[in-house]
Amino acid sequence: MRKIRILLADDHKLIRSGLRLLVEQQPDLAVVGEANDGREAVALAKSLKPDVAVMDIGMPNLNGIEAALQITQSNPEISVVMLSMHSDESYILRALKSGAKGYLLKDSAESDLIKAVRAVADGKSFFSPAVSKVLLDDYVRKLKRSGAEDAYDLLTPREREILQLVAEGNSNKDVANLLNLSVYTVETHRSNIMEKLNLRGIPELILFAVRKGIIS
Amino acid sequence: MDTLPKENVPAPSTVTPDSRSSDYARKVRTLLFISFGWLLALLIGAGVNALLSLRQLDTQERQVSTRFSARSRALSTIVVSVRGYDDQLERYLLQSQLPTPSPTPDEIASKLAEIRSALLRFPPDQFPEEHFLLGELQTLLLDQENSAATVLNWPAGDRQQRARQFIGEDLLPWSTRILAISQEISSVDGQRLADENLALALRFQSMESRLVWLVGLALVAGVLMSLVCGWYILRLERQGRDRYQALAQSRLELETLSARLVEAQEAERRSISRELHDEVGQTLGALLVEVGHLSKAVSPEDRVTLAQIAQIKSVAENAVKSIRDMALLLRPPMLDDLGLVAALEWQAREISRRSDMEVEVTSQEVSETLDDEMKVTVYRLVQEALNNAATHASAKNAKVTVIQTRDKITVQVIDDGVGFDPNRKRGMGILGMEERVRRLGGAFAIQSAPGKGSTVSAEIPLHPIPSLVHEP
Repeated sequence: MRKIRILLADDHKLIRSGLRLLVEQQPDLAVVGEANDGREAVALAKSLKPDVAVMDIGMPNLNGIEAALQITQSNPEISVVMLSMHSDESYILRALKSGAKGYLLKDSAESDLIKAVRAVADGKSFFSPAVSKVLLDDYVRKLKRSGAEDAYDLLTPREREILQLVAEGNSNKDVANLLNLSVYTVETHRSNIMEKLNLRGIPELILFAVRKGIIS
Repeated sequence: MDTLPKENVPAPSTVTPDSRSSDYARKVRTLLFISFGWLLALLIGAGVNALLSLRQLDTQERQVSTRFSARSRALSTIVVSVRGYDDQLERYLLQSQLPTPSPTPDEIASKLAEIRSALLRFPPDQFPEEHFLLGELQTLLLDQENSAATVLNWPAGDRQQRARQFIGEDLLPWSTRILAISQEISSVDGQRLADENLALALRFQSMESRLVWLVGLALVAGVLMSLVCGWYILRLERQGRDRYQALAQSRLELETLSARLVEAQEAERRSISRELHDEVGQTLGALLVEVGHLSKAVSPEDRVTLAQIAQIKSVAENAVKSIRDMALLLRPPMLDDLGLVAALEWQAREISRRSDMEVEVTSQEVSETLDDEMKVTVYRLVQEALNNAATHASAKNAKVTVIQTRDKITVQVIDDGVGFDPNRKRGMGILGMEERVRRLGGAFAIQSAPGKGSTVSAEIPLHPIPSLVHEP
């Protein structure tokens, strides 16, 4: 069986060794490289071509977000899992925009890292459960204070279905095949969803899905 | 908002250097007033004195001239009437030998009366010499009156016989004598007049010298006072200049100091935050990972140990959380990780989570590569304004707007809280905001009124004008 090859990038050696220990307890996972900062991570990702890069957001020289952006632009096949202490949507949105597939809180790294690595290696997204809770709380609070209604309620069942599939990383064509619809219809549904939810781009759509607990 | 102590606290009534110097100034002022008063009195006194003296001299001169002209008039009347008498008597006595009609004895007697009355008209205020000479005249007149009484009663024969003798031996010497005495009186009077004129001249001279002396004194006093005043004014000017300089200097120092304080505070916060985050936080994170390993190494049956490990984990997690909160508050890593706008959005949500206020952030064209100082300034400004709005103003909504244009960044924080009077109430927080903005050469303003919410706004140039930025 082919092992999932992992690159670890964190400016703290202690954290890296802890993560490595976790990974190496799994027979199907292997750490192929460790980077001390963003620049090194980009270089190693290019030379080692790992399946998954686990990356700390706050790193010297080049921060994790910039590094992830460079890696996913030059090597789209590498899945990036962001490692962060913050569950705020500013971070998550930026991470998503930089092409990261997973967002893992450091608090829960110990219990969720393996799940996250496997999920993103499989082409799915992964968010720490605490993240979606914070996002949902913010969302609900804002709705309550502004008195606005939850835009999600405006979506039809079909649109909700498509929202989930798109958020999980499926292309329009995949969705069309899965639901037995034409690509054109899927595209129309998608733009309706974006309009109803007032979203700009896939990262915001994924964020919305995470917030609503549609994906994790 | 942290309120400063109220400004209308009564000042302690102790003697301060200021009150001492104002006491001194009051003394100097009084002295100057008194001196000016004296100078003025001196000048007025001199003027009045000169005026009075001149008037007095004038009166005296008039008196003298009146007196002497009266005398000379009286004398000339005497002389004229004596001559008239002389002439008439002579003609009377020699009447037959003359072609013109001779005067009557009555006419001659009236001439004599004329002489007497002229003598009596002489001013009564006579000096001793005058008096003596007038007495002599009186005696002579009396003699003549007696002689005339005799002569006029002479029969015509006697008259012809003795006329020549009488004229030659009596009348002529008498009139000559009278004229001589008159001449003498006149010369005595002339002498007197000269004397009195001299006395007047002397008095005029003394008045003149007194006036010169007074004016000189006033002049000297005036010059002296001008010197004193000039010196005093120069001194005041110098003091004023010194004080102004000292004030400007201390203000500059204060500004520099507060700029340094802001800078030091920021650096300190950053370093503590980094220490907390990097060292303590990461160590605890690693500890948590190790604890995780430990819990897997322990056999699932050993519940006591597992419970203890869970306890350790929860304590460590709490520590991680509080350290993270502290580090975030001190120096949010968002500024470095995400840039200004995302950090502001994070902050807005953070405040929305913690308080009853909903914050909305709008941004336009804000670059992600701003100077660190600029980012921190805007960030702290918004932080302070939002904290004020949520904590002190009980606002329900706040709106943060950040707009970047070609040469500046404009920040505005509007809330719908209770507001305050920005002129009266300036907390440390506001001062801090203002200081940070001014350090970058920007402008800062607060608009607020009780019950009307408040608007904090700032405009910061992207390329600060060098002269407006303090040297660090």
